[in-house]
Amino acid sequence: MIPEFTASVGAPRVAGIEFPFGRPLGLPGDRAGQRAVLTAALEVISRARTPGTVIQLPFTWPQSPRDARADPPVPPPIVQLIKRKPWLAVKLLARDIPDPRQPTAN
Amino acid sequence: MTETLAGGQPADHGELAKRVRFHPFVDGPTRKLVRSWIEREPAHPVPWAPLTKPLSACRVALVSSAGIARHDQPPFDQERERRDPWWSDQSWRPIPLGTTEADAGIYHLHIDPRFGAQDLDCVLPLRRLQELSADGVVGGAAATHYSFMGYILQPRQLLASTAPAITARMAAEAVDVALLVPV
Repeated sequence: MIPEFTASVGAPRVAGIEFPFGRPLGLPGDRAGQRAVLTAALEVISRARTPGTVIQLPFTWPQSPRDARADPPVPPPIVQLIKRKPWLAVKLLARDIPDPRQPTAN
Repeated sequence: MTETLAGGQPADHGELAKRVRFHPFVDGPTRKLVRSWIEREPAHPVPWAPLTKPLSACRVALVSSAGIARHDQPPFDQERERRDPWWSDQSWRPIPLGTTEADAGIYHLHIDPRFGAQDLDCVLPLRRLQELSADGVVGGAAATHYSFMGYILQPRQLLASTAPAITARMAAEAVDVALLVPV
């Protein structure tokens, strides 16, 4: 999770956690761990006293980044597009997003 | 939810972007992208609704960006995003308390959905919230929770119609606290 990004869009209270994408509460079946994370995140709501507060939660993921790596089953559409047309990466970085095309007629 | 009573000063985006130097589970290209977006994000006044009672008296609703839709609801539109990768489905789904991984699918195309498919509480901790409610840590779990798709590049519809619709339903269900759970 990237708490700086969440804070930049104006979230009033942010709980940061260094967990990998796709499982912000913890591993499947880890009830105690999920409960601890949820409790700590809710406590941020009562602990934060000023708008834009970011509090880093003290949890450590039990796997190395290498072991925790988990990609989507196929690369996301935008990743596939940038691979085909690398020059579009500039637009993505600049958040210069083209207007959506009309849905393709079937 | 409590009425917003005061707004905070916008964060210094240059400083926030510099802090995205190292996250052990975020790869280099994603860090670069996020830094670039933070620097370009316009300054927002930060909304602020003071908590006026203890958590043990608050009704809590969860919001997930995993793109969760129940099997009895229309799925999120993955096909259109595949055709137009700049586009995102910005609709939302109400997720009733009691929904489990057996009842719903995860449609976010930018994460590995297996964890949430195996145990929905990895992304939307409804059972854990019910436990906290039963133990008196929170006052209650709302009847309805919410999900929309993550990775929305141009969130006009999300801001103009999806977020107001969700907050209106939360208000109708007397929700005190909304916890957004990114994925």
